[in-house]
Amino acid sequence: MSGLSLHLQKLKKFSWSGIAALICLIFILFVVLYTFFHLQHDPNLTNLDERLQGMSLQHPLGTDQLGRDVLTRLLLGAQQTIGYSLLALLAALIIGVPFGLISGYKRGLVDRVFMRIADGFLAFPDTIIAIVLSGLLGPGIGNLVLAIIMVKWVSYARLVRSTVLAESQKEYVLVARTNGLSPIKIIRKHLFPHIIGHVLVLASLDFGKIILLISAFSYIGLGVQPPTPEWGAMLNESRPYFQTRPELMIYSGLAIVVVVLLTNMLGDYLRDHFDVKKEVEQ
Amino acid sequence: MILSMEQVSIRSGEKKIIDNVPFSIDKGEWFALVGQSGSGKSILSRAIGQLLPKNFQVEGKILLNEEDLCSLSPKQMRTIRGQTLSYIFQDYQGTFTPFRTIGQHLEEYQKVHGNLDTRQRKIKSIEALHSVGLDEAFYSSYPFQLSGGQLQRASIAIALLLSPDLLIADEITTALDSVSGHRILELLAKKQKEIGCTILFITHDWRHVRRYADRIAIMKDGVIVESGGKHRILDHPKHAYTKQLIHATPILGKGLLSGLQEVGKE
Repeated sequence: MSGLSLHLQKLKKFSWSGIAALICLIFILFVVLYTFFHLQHDPNLTNLDERLQGMSLQHPLGTDQLGRDVLTRLLLGAQQTIGYSLLALLAALIIGVPFGLISGYKRGLVDRVFMRIADGFLAFPDTIIAIVLSGLLGPGIGNLVLAIIMVKWVSYARLVRSTVLAESQKEYVLVARTNGLSPIKIIRKHLFPHIIGHVLVLASLDFGKIILLISAFSYIGLGVQPPTPEWGAMLNESRPYFQTRPELMIYSGLAIVVVVLLTNMLGDYLRDHFDVKKEVEQ
Repeated sequence: MILSMEQVSIRSGEKKIIDNVPFSIDKGEWFALVGQSGSGKSILSRAIGQLLPKNFQVEGKILLNEEDLCSLSPKQMRTIRGQTLSYIFQDYQGTFTPFRTIGQHLEEYQKVHGNLDTRQRKIKSIEALHSVGLDEAFYSSYPFQLSGGQLQRASIAIALLLSPDLLIADEITTALDSVSGHRILELLAKKQKEIGCTILFITHDWRHVRRYADRIAIMKDGVIVESGGKHRILDHPKHAYTKQLIHATPILGKGLLSGLQEVGKE
């Protein structure tokens, strides 16, 4: 990671929005992890006597239409939404990055075959794949994550490939070869650090999109299945009570908006950070 | 004889780039390959290390220490590169991976060739830097912190790190100003005397050829038109193209072009 430290040294201007986004995200992650160990209420325990209650000490954000504690469900929903989004993102990275590295470095036939496969995946919009998969395999978060991975890995493969394609033409790769380095070593030590920045930017911007996608599909019933708490699903469940208890929708809606906004801010910050033009200006 | 080429032809698709080149280099000599841009010098030099892209087909035999390089597996080839055969290139800016220090480069290449002792590697790297006139501070410098001449010195340090038998210097002074260029070549000549390596020196600059080369080959459009000792080529060129090349270079001073004294003249 010497490449990253190099960038940090060069960066003199500080971006507060990026740092703030990062701190908020870490805070959210911490809260989400905390709920793993400490929960006051059972998220799935229905109690119709206490349904649709307002704020109280017992239930800080009230209860929903089945008398379940909203705060508990909101926090556990974060685990679902953020957790599955991270899973999908990581899996897409693990598939896409090596694909792009090999394709860009090997060129020729390997490149052509790999890229045609990628193009094939790119031909389907993500919504279509998700709907078809849940039609074939039944609705569920597993199939939704699979659909997201199938769509998202392609963009990483293409991004990495184009960077490696340009970098591997440079003299230092040739020099590394003339000194007896194997292709794997060259890719790992001399090319991989180049792409890390680009990939990080795209990933953080994608993260927000994946959260939205998972929430959207849970909202229409193709993602997380009830009674498991998930923000999109919670939005859908509280839809009939929008007139009487709008805050039920506002809580989970706000949660989605805030997290997506934060990841986008982080993405912007990272993009500025790794931007070559900005380095030149400085 | 350290390197010999027997009927080496290189083609890319239908086009023949190098046609039937025979030449051989003796141990310890400074062999200059001269020719204008596009004559195929660099392609020929890269063919020696099997560094050409796959769309170039190499025919014939390239023997390094009596071993046919074309018949070796990629793994065997990797042990030869860097250890027996090493390169220095023209573009000193691009020689080093931008986010790795000079020291990391030096250490990595030793590690690849089997030196697993970290302390020993570091000592050897610093020694190598000293031997090309760079002090220890450059060990932890990034490439962009060095000047052109310093970078080219560092690349000489890397190329000579494992005392190769054959060093291929591909237009190493072209991108440098003439003073730095001469300093680099002087350093190279000094190192050659110490290590005793053979140098295949690719250039189109007659001044350097006159000063350092032992033997010269002239290349034109993928064919070697003339080769021989320095005195023979420079003072008694036979081929029309060689004559044309020599006359195209203005040279100050008296005496023969090779710098030798003419026989029977005061």
